Amino acid sequence: MSNKAKVISALFLSLMLLLAGCGSNSKSSSSAAKETTKESTTAALKHDKSELVVGLDDDPPQLDPHFSTAAVDRQVFHSIYDTLVDVDEKLNFVPALAEKWEISQDAKTYTFFLRKNVKFHDGTPFNAEAVKFNFERMMDPKAGSPRASELSSVQSIEVIDENTLKVQLSKPYSPFLAALSDRAGMMVSPTAVKEKGADFANSPVGTGPFKFVSRVKQDKIEVAKNPDYWGGAPKFEKITYRPYADENVRLTNLTSGDVDIISKVPPKDVEKLKTDSNLKLSEVGALGFQGLYLNNKNAPFNNKALRQALNLVIDRDAIIKVALRNTAVPSAGAIPPSSWAFDKTLKPTKQNIEKAKKIMADAGFPSGFSFTLQLPAKPVEQQMGQMIQSMAAEAGIKVKLELVEFGTMLDNMDNYKFDAVRLGWSGRTDPDGNIFALYHTTGSINYGYSNPKMDQLLEAARVETDQAKRKEIYSQAAKLGQEEVPYIFLYHELDYKAYKNNLQGYKHIPDTMMRFQDVSFK
Amino acid sequence: MEAKLEQVLPKVESPKKRRMKEMSARFFQNKLAVAGGVFTLLLILMAVFAPMVAPFSPSHQDYAKFLQSPSASNIMGTDELGRDIFSRIIYGARVSIQAGIISVGIALLLGIPIGLFSGYYRGVLDEFVVMRFTDALLSFPPLVLALSLAAVLGAGLQNAMIAIGIIFTPNFIRLVRGEVLSQREREYVTAAKASGISDVKIMFRHIFPNCLPPILVQATLSIAAAIISEASLSYLGLGTQPPTPSWGAMLSMGQGYLKDAPWISLFPGLFIFLTVLSINLFGDGLRDALDPKLK
Repeated sequence: MSNKAKVISALFLSLMLLLAGCGSNSKSSSSAAKETTKESTTAALKHDKSELVVGLDDDPPQLDPHFSTAAVDRQVFHSIYDTLVDVDEKLNFVPALAEKWEISQDAKTYTFFLRKNVKFHDGTPFNAEAVKFNFERMMDPKAGSPRASELSSVQSIEVIDENTLKVQLSKPYSPFLAALSDRAGMMVSPTAVKEKGADFANSPVGTGPFKFVSRVKQDKIEVAKNPDYWGGAPKFEKITYRPYADENVRLTNLTSGDVDIISKVPPKDVEKLKTDSNLKLSEVGALGFQGLYLNNKNAPFNNKALRQALNLVIDRDAIIKVALRNTAVPSAGAIPPSSWAFDKTLKPTKQNIEKAKKIMADAGFPSGFSFTLQLPAKPVEQQMGQMIQSMAAEAGIKVKLELVEFGTMLDNMDNYKFDAVRLGWSGRTDPDGNIFALYHTTGSINYGYSNPKMDQLLEAARVETDQAKRKEIYSQAAKLGQEEVPYIFLYHELDYKAYKNNLQGYKHIPDTMMRFQDVSFK
Repeated sequence: MEAKLEQVLPKVESPKKRRMKEMSARFFQNKLAVAGGVFTLLLILMAVFAPMVAPFSPSHQDYAKFLQSPSASNIMGTDELGRDIFSRIIYGARVSIQAGIISVGIALLLGIPIGLFSGYYRGVLDEFVVMRFTDALLSFPPLVLALSLAAVLGAGLQNAMIAIGIIFTPNFIRLVRGEVLSQREREYVTAAKASGISDVKIMFRHIFPNCLPPILVQATLSIAAAIISEASLSYLGLGTQPPTPSWGAMLSMGQGYLKDAPWISLFPGLFIFLTVLSINLFGDGLRDALDPKLK
């Protein structure tokens, strides 16, 4: 009996608590009805219109553009920093910090005319000296910047006057402007770098439309309006970037109104979002590729036959249909369909279990092999991982799945502590930024693959200024890559951004980076 | 009630047999406990004979029919990769039961000897080492401790079971020690000592059997808690690794589809709930049957 009484009183108490909790939420009980309906309809506008809350797909590991290796970093960079040149929606180069530029006949001399009266957030003037400092910072071999390879053709930098800079290349380098529209063209304050040294990444200073305010790791990054921005003061007082590694959580926060815009929409929700009247969904063919990085240096994937076998067991169409709900196209190489260098004749590898088995048997692995696949802890990734695991099992390849935090995963890759990693490449406006980076011995995302023939082709494409000829060279390189499989291509994604329908002025650039200086709420 | 039973029982039986009979009579009067026991038994049978019961292989992915609602061929529907949820539930029961029994087994294996020695010899080792150590372990929220242990040991069912076993150990140490403290003062222990039986033999042959009932109850209830812990760890990605199905992991994958395909998470959730409830009811019934004074 006493037990029953206890249970009832406990239930009663918890009910009271629940009611009390609800009560404190609705502000006043007198005008309750009116108040609550109003609140629910304006749920989409929880915070005031001067603040934008952005939902990112991960916590940016790095806020120093010269040392960044993650695409998600760039989302924040476009607020804090400016690039020398920018790209528009059609990927044409447009002026940014450089008002205009001239390229010499031999394509070896670039003269940049810089925007006048621009200042970094700390008051340091932006001028030719500052650009020179930035280039030298990235090219310093001791610093080990991932940008160094993008600027490897730079021979000398000459300050002509306060706002003019001449860059001399040792040989023509077609992707140069494209590199400058990305992190290599992002200018950091020389004063801040000298003062803070390695700590710069924790309180970055640029010239961008927003100033860095604060950061709480895995929680938020806050930036505030730069009222003196050269392109006119931005409309928002403040932007808060919040990382949501779980795509469902990210989307839920958008639909609940806590977040205003999200990068990367869960594929399974794309169809639904298209019909949601409160939200806008924007789609664009991205520049990158997605697949599996293989450790070409160590066993098992230092063996070409095993790489080929794994490549053959994968059914790309199934992955796209089931895990990605047709928000991607199968991939055959590093160059996406949106690029001028895309080769239609190069077909994605078809699943062929028998052939895979035969290749393994010929190479002395008749009963298959096993490896660990590292994955980001995201639902779609886990689905894909389990699909690959099941496909590989058909050919006797045992796949152990390991969920790894994003930053750790990048570290593991840098230290060759992996067999295979499920990760892509956000892509660059110039094809060189994809294919050279992946296949060349010195490429920034090459993990132990080296072939002199490949290097030769990629270097030839860099100095070739005729686009048709460059395309031809890239096709040859792509075919060689498909044969040697240093990387397993799965698909090219379509990029989706979803945002509240009262957000205006947002332009979806195919580089998938969000730029907010002209964006505001209606 | 007890008096009545006493009258019914025949007087020729040995006291031990009589106690057993009394006990089972008390247990079978508790309908909820019996129901819990029956469900648990069915679940165990289902897990043991999984290959015969399950209509499909739990890891078979049929890309032609992903996210299908329950139907005649897939009575619990299919998940996001076209796998049969019913088959995965059955195989998942294996993981859950295994996790429950093995992790509690680890806790018993560590907890009983430590508790026995600690309670029997007492002294500095008991007061300042064993007890403070268990206090320290008990002061952690169990899931947080299990999470950190699993993270250190590495993700996987085996390590999850070890982690869960370790976090349950202090409970058993305390329980056994408490029992031993009261038992060691009894006359039969003094008698055993006087007849020159070794300490180890006294502990395991004489004292331990007398401590068994509470241990049995605690172990049963801990199995339920261990099943929840395994499901939680798997939900968070640190437990059972794919392709082995686990209820917790199924729940976690299903949460993204709550609106479109609720059956993916509904069934594993339901089974976790029913299993844990059944084992708890069974354990409660067992406690009441073993120790009528508690009622």
